Amino acid sequence: MGPGVIAGLSDDDPAGITTYSQVGAKFGYQLLWVLVISTVALILFQDLGARIGVVTRQGLIGLVRQKYGARSGTLSAVALLVANFGTLTAEFAGIAAAGQLFGYSRFITVPLAAFVVSFLVLRGSFARVEKVFFALSAVFIAYVVAGFMAHPDWGKALHGVVVPTMPFNHDAIYIATATLGTTLAPWGLAFIQSYAVDKRLTRDDLKLLRVDVWTGSLLTGIIGFFVIVTCAATLNKDGQKNITDAAQAAQALVPLAGTLAKALFAIGLVGAALLAASILPLSTAYSVGDLTGQPAALDDGPKDAPLFYATFGLMTFLAAGLILLPGIPLIRVLVLTQILNAVLLLPLLFFMYGISKDIRLMGEFASTRRMRIVYGAIISLVSICVIALLWFTVHP
Amino acid sequence: MKKPPTLPITKVVNRVEKAVGRRDSVLARKSIRDSLVSLAGLIGCPVRNEDGREIGRLVDVVVRHGEDAYPPVSGLIVKVGQRQSFIDGARIATLTHNEIRLSSTTINLTDYKRRQGESLLDSDVLDHQIVDVNGLRVVRSSDLYLAPLDKEIRVVGVDISFVTFLRRIFPGALGRRATPQHVLDWSTVASLADTSGVVKTSGSKTALSQLRPADLADLIEDLAGREQSALIEMLDPELAADALEEMEDEELQGLLRGLTEDRAAELLSRMEPDESAEVLRDLADEHREDILKAMDAKLAKQLRQLISFDETLAGGIMTTHMVIAREDDTVAQALQMLVESRDRDISDGVVMVDSKGKLIDHIQIIELVAAKASASLSTLIGPPYPTAVNIDSPLEEVIEEFSNNRGASIVVIDEKGKPVGRILADDLVDALKPGEQQGLSKGSGALQ
Repeated sequence: MGPGVIAGLSDDDPAGITTYSQVGAKFGYQLLWVLVISTVALILFQDLGARIGVVTRQGLIGLVRQKYGARSGTLSAVALLVANFGTLTAEFAGIAAAGQLFGYSRFITVPLAAFVVSFLVLRGSFARVEKVFFALSAVFIAYVVAGFMAHPDWGKALHGVVVPTMPFNHDAIYIATATLGTTLAPWGLAFIQSYAVDKRLTRDDLKLLRVDVWTGSLLTGIIGFFVIVTCAATLNKDGQKNITDAAQAAQALVPLAGTLAKALFAIGLVGAALLAASILPLSTAYSVGDLTGQPAALDDGPKDAPLFYATFGLMTFLAAGLILLPGIPLIRVLVLTQILNAVLLLPLLFFMYGISKDIRLMGEFASTRRMRIVYGAIISLVSICVIALLWFTVHP
Repeated sequence: MKKPPTLPITKVVNRVEKAVGRRDSVLARKSIRDSLVSLAGLIGCPVRNEDGREIGRLVDVVVRHGEDAYPPVSGLIVKVGQRQSFIDGARIATLTHNEIRLSSTTINLTDYKRRQGESLLDSDVLDHQIVDVNGLRVVRSSDLYLAPLDKEIRVVGVDISFVTFLRRIFPGALGRRATPQHVLDWSTVASLADTSGVVKTSGSKTALSQLRPADLADLIEDLAGREQSALIEMLDPELAADALEEMEDEELQGLLRGLTEDRAAELLSRMEPDESAEVLRDLADEHREDILKAMDAKLAKQLRQLISFDETLAGGIMTTHMVIAREDDTVAQALQMLVESRDRDISDGVVMVDSKGKLIDHIQIIELVAAKASASLSTLIGPPYPTAVNIDSPLEEVIEEFSNNRGASIVVIDEKGKPVGRILADDLVDALKPGEQQGLSKGSGALQ
């Protein structure tokens, strides 16, 4: 189980599942093509991140600082920090939503989760429980079975995958942007690169790493596909077109699990949220250290790496605290943070593109002209989504 | 790696002096400390002629690496109109934190071409990785400080603090002033700027040469690509070879790919033959041949033979380094041979052969020292007789022999009974070390 698969399954976190559910519930099969494009983008940029990490043995933020200077370095670090903070908030929102399905107050579940995650990671016992979280989040593979049992309209699904159409309105652009943002999450890109650097992976490991990255990314796409299809065949068909709480989202699993649908959904949410909530602050703290030129990791004690531990602690504390604010709409937070992801993705993608074609840095691994066109197309697509969303927000 | 706490500059200087064993760190001089100019702040500032008229804006500063511990500024790259021009360093009259004055009114503008042994401070060094020799770590430079020294303007220090880095984000004068926080003396860092293969003889080389091979190996493993090759190029080949021996095989193969065949051949010839054979064995056939061809023919032949042996047989783990003496040689001759080979490896004795080259005995140094210098070696023959294994003995047999004879080494002989190498206890340890971890979650990384 490598970093690509971890990143992939963590991508199907509460924010991912909620966003995909929203896509299926609101628009049926129509927007499946957005997921397909997002998955292709995920594969390509994760692959690029792995390559940059192995070849340069430097983290993304450090490289941006080296190539583009102090201001760009800081800009990319801040973008990553904010995006990751948003996503971490979404993980805690997922924990809160799952707790509510069982009737537990978020004032108990969220602080508990924040404490458990910090304790496990800082004690260094994360590697042991990682597999447990992993297994829990794998519950979402149930959507594949649920998808078949819900007897979807495969013809329409195929049409949705192949023919890119969408209603040109705020809601459609909004959810399409969120889909891009949750699938191609900024943290995953930085994570895969710093993983390769931290583990000192060599060019000989690159093949294995790429297999891992492709597997993880495809897994994200496949689960996402079945979440959308399941929700289209159940919620959307039944006229339940707007999901406002986790219980409604869990309804999609009723054809499969019957009365156990809620429990199944909650277990998946908790597993994926804990998995992502463990890695997110860690990866962010690493990137902040990367900006200073001294990437720190758990090997260094708090005295040697104050910034690392401060970032880790503060992020977890604030993200959990935000979810405890009275009256915060969990489902909206879950999707909104993914919009934030998409916006903050832009500078990072741009910098990665620039690094990829730098022969001095990448040598024989520099991107070819054809790949640069593909990267450019993806960046343009994200930009168009963000600009269109901005336009619709200003002119409702 | 541990991160030393940020100290006030005077303390840093003291520490640096202690570590390098020099009292003359220029940062300790008050006149230098008061005249430090921030390079990061200087970029973009106006360059004026003698009359004070602006000629253009500073794009980069060129320095020349050479004999000096503190490289002097050899020129400026200035944007004049739409064009980037080079101005010779000799023309600089004054250089302050917000402008550069030249010493004449008419300036000869030429295009800049990279020359050997020069690097551009902004595009090659600032924000790039440098090796902090005393702290044994790879850091990024947040700022570089220039100061007049020995009639020239030179780079004297590197600031590696985060506070200084953050200062540069601010616009205007705020971002330009020098804020020496955690400054390292330039002579105690190794800049990895690519100077097109010029071997630098500046301070960094001497500082690097004081490192232990194992520490150097760690530093090398922290880097990759261009920077990694640059560091290797900077090292004395003997020291580099020692450091390479400490590295993981997989890591070492990656490194060899980034070096020229000649350099790779040079380094591998200085390593223990069994260690170089092990690395060469796993290289791509073509690459291996290129390196072997660049080597001394005799050594290449020896290595080819070692490479052909299976790693699970005695021949695959032995070293071919040993001192062979004939039974009719004298004790003095044997000792002389040991002394002559001391640079290559430290032998614990000589392997004695008869006139046909067959193994007779292994004589310990202590026996040689105790014997009369003029005595013939044959007088020292006697128990304990050396343990010998055949070149194709399996690893299990080697271990068996080792545990029976409890010695520090055993001799390997070929089918004719001639000694061809020795297996030392540490070679056996290497052979028995559990296979290197495969897969992506190997190593000591602690990201998760």
